[in-house]
Parts: sequence; structure tokens; C-alpha cells
Amino acid sequence: MKVFIVPPNSLILYDLVERYGHTPLSLMGAISKRVMNPEIESPPINVTPNDVKKGLKYAGIEVPSGIRGRLAIWGPLVDEAEAAIIMEDAPFEFGCVGCHRTDEMVRYLVKKRKIPFLEVRYPNSEDEAKVLVSKIKAFLEGLK
Amino acid sequence: MPVRGREMSKEIETRMIVIAPSSSVTPDQITRLIHTLSTEVTVKETCYGAMVEGGKEEVARTIEAVRKLDSNRIFTKVRGFPIGDARRCRAHHGSRPGFTQLEKEWECLSLIEKGVSSAEKCEVVHEVPRRKGIPIEELKRIVEETK
Repeated sequence: MKVFIVPPNSLILYDLVERYGHTPLSLMGAISKRVMNPEIESPPINVTPNDVKKGLKYAGIEVPSGIRGRLAIWGPLVDEAEAAIIMEDAPFEFGCVGCHRTDEMVRYLVKKRKIPFLEVRYPNSEDEAKVLVSKIKAFLEGLK
Repeated sequence: MPVRGREMSKEIETRMIVIAPSSSVTPDQITRLIHTLSTEVTVKETCYGAMVEGGKEEVARTIEAVRKLDSNRIFTKVRGFPIGDARRCRAHHGSRPGFTQLEKEWECLSLIEKGVSSAEKCEVVHEVPRRKGIPIEELKRIVEETK
């Protein structure tokens, strides 16, 4: 099954989803299709004005273009997903995903789709990590 | 039109291989292993492990072989940009917007590895109460004390 992950570029979630036999839908996969496409506008642009228009499907015109641009990439992944795993408590400086409003919108989109989803937190200790992995494993095995 | 010297029809994938800090495997071991596999992939040794690029199936075969070195302590994910891409490669002064996340998740890998090993053994785990922040009254008391 196709599993959408939040943060969408998480190494931990990508690896665990694959390890337990599913296909992760990630930001890297979507970006890869864009940057490897020879028709894309010259670097460093990897989101085109057209993408921002597509983002209108997921957020209103009054929403900042940065959020619409992100949703133009993440939104279709949510639409394609058959399940989702959301990992909370990511540090705020988490690179290109450090936009809280986009995170909130994505969570809303996932819940609106009524697909099975799991909410977990980044672990701070060994015991928390064990709980995290066992929850993810049980969730993914339950999807089969 | 060829893309990076390969046929357009072939689906190219770039993967990051990240070694958990608790593993004794080194990036050098991984790159040497990949060279001996003689699969048609490009490999680059990095500080956290390695990057592999090639046809999707060849990359999958390579990852399978690399995982055998230390399956619970070697993690992988797809990378959006190709190896040495001027937009990301440090040699070309590219930006690294995902670096802080990679650093944080790399630190977490030794914990995740314990989790994966525990799940493998089907150990029974119990929910751990989350450590709460310091109460405001307690914080006030500490501030007053240090005045």
C-alpha cells in the first residue's frame, strides 16, 4: 500500500515503511521527478508558477504562496495515499519542512480523506523508540 | 535525449545510505562493498554513509546487499537531487536545506535501531509517559532564587 509520511522527507519513516513492506510516498520522490525532468525551468527553481496554481486546490488564494507551493507537491501525495503516518515533535528548524501552517494543512488534508493514519512522536529515549517502532510495525502489518 | 549519460526510458533513482552512530560499519566499507558488487550504479562516499545512483532495480539490489552488513543499523531513503547536482552539492556551494533534519534523524538512529531489534524479537513494550515541561510556578521559584 502507498503510505504518506509526515515529515514527508523523514529518513526514519521512509526506511520503516519500506522495511515493513509498503511504498512510502515522500517529498524526495516528488522532487526527484521534478528536478530530473529536462523540461523544468533552469535551476534552482523546482516549483514552477503552474505548481503554485495547482496548490489552489488545497489552500485558498489568501494563503501565502510558500504554503501553496508546498501543498502543490504534498497535496497530490495525500490524494494518492492509502494510509498515512504522522510523526510529531519535529524540531522547528527541520529544513524545507519547517513551515508550521503547511504541516497543519497537511494534517487536515490527511484527516479529511478518512484513510487509516497513525500519529506518533519523535523518540527521546530507548523506551520511547521501542514504543514508536512497535506502533508503526503493528499499523503497517495491519494494512496488509 | 540522454539524462546524465543514461537512456531516458530507464528510471533513475538516487538513494542515501545512512549508518546509525551505534554501528561499527564505516562509509568506506559500504563503498568498497558496492564496488565489488559490479552493479551499474554510481556511488559516492559521504560522512554519514554513502549515496548510490542508478537504475531503480540495480539500486534496490545494491541496497539489499548493503543492508546485509548490519541490517538494523543501516537506513536508506530516496534523495530528490542527483549526486553532485549543482543545486545541492557542497563542492558547487549548493544549499543544504535538509541537513539539520538529517543530522537530527541520524542522532535518533541508534534509538530506532533498538526499536527495530525489539520489534524483531516481538518484545512486549509499554507506553512511556512523556516528560512534561517545567511548571511555570517552579520556573518562577528558580528565577526568584537566583536573583
